[in-house]
Amino acid sequence: MKKYICPICGYVYDEAKEGVKFEDLPDDWKCPLCGAPKNLFKAEAIEVTKDEIKDEVVESSETKEDLREMSDLEISALCSSLARGCEKQYLDEEKELFTKLANHYKNKAQNKESSDLESLISKINEDLNINYPKARKVAEEKMDRGALRVITWGEKVSAILNSLLSQYQNDKEFTKNTKIYVCDICGFIYVGDEKPEICPICKVPSFKLLEVKRGA
Amino acid sequence: MSKLRAVRNLRICSKDCLCLYVCPTGATDTETGQIDFAKCIGCGACSKACPSGAISMVPYQYPKQQIKDELVITDLNKLIKNKVLEEQIAETIYKNSNDEIEKQLFKSIARANRLMAEDLYREAGYMLPQSKNTKEFLERLLEENKNIELKTDIEKLLNLLECNE
Repeated sequence: MKKYICPICGYVYDEAKEGVKFEDLPDDWKCPLCGAPKNLFKAEAIEVTKDEIKDEVVESSETKEDLREMSDLEISALCSSLARGCEKQYLDEEKELFTKLANHYKNKAQNKESSDLESLISKINEDLNINYPKARKVAEEKMDRGALRVITWGEKVSAILNSLLSQYQNDKEFTKNTKIYVCDICGFIYVGDEKPEICPICKVPSFKLLEVKRGA
Repeated sequence: MSKLRAVRNLRICSKDCLCLYVCPTGATDTETGQIDFAKCIGCGACSKACPSGAISMVPYQYPKQQIKDELVITDLNKLIKNKVLEEQIAETIYKNSNDEIEKQLFKSIARANRLMAEDLYREAGYMLPQSKNTKEFLERLLEENKNIELKTDIEKLLNLLECNE
């Protein structure tokens, strides 16, 4: 008998208690707490050690990038992030100005790369397999708890996106009969009718999980 | 910490209106529900009297943000580069689709990626709008931009946000 753990919210599926082997659960079985698909679950015994990430990746960190080379999209994301920062401080005028800048640069941005599903999936996998583990290693070495926080949340959200896209590849209408919510804090996507009480990733109360309506 | 001002969390405010009775300057009687920052003297009477805990006192000046290591910033920037591209691809799929189910999913994915990119920037040296990093970023934008209207907006921001470093 084994235990299987949801990597998103930590829910434990205990075969001994449930009386059904994890592998015998149907493929479309989902985490009862956060909706994470079955294939993301990991058996409790397996532990990934940090050493598995090769040392060379840390050493190869490039020198400081010239910030002047920010793309229009990056400028837009930084401006919308600063708009949120102003909103939190109740600085309404500043928030509006940053939002305006963010929209301007977003509209100005050109499509440089191929915009198909395959390239989206390959980029997400690049993040999950290379960029997040590498960033985590550096953040651990530098003892940057804030960076570790954003890496942990982002890694979990990216894993969810990856699994949603593979479900979509199998069945283009897999969300046909359910609602979709996006956590306005961390970006967690919940596919299902009743959203969880708190976001399973960042733990914000459910009112910040916003429904994305169809046809809107 | 320097001067404070009262702000009201409109989601929590239960309209018990004790702030109206205790405010010495009439800063809390606005139609929008938010406090009139021009009238607020930062005495904190409303915050203490509020039975629902909807009013908090926030500073005008914030302490300096945490210093980030260059190596951490480099790796977070690499993630940001991908997240904004992922947002763009998802948005293009959204725009090119005629299917409402597909549109809904890819709109959600685009939004999730934007939120992750924004969050990464906060940990990559841009936590505070009043930071030196933000100021230098805005100055670079001003320098590179030719659009008069945007230049005016960037100048406004530089004037409004007093740098705390």
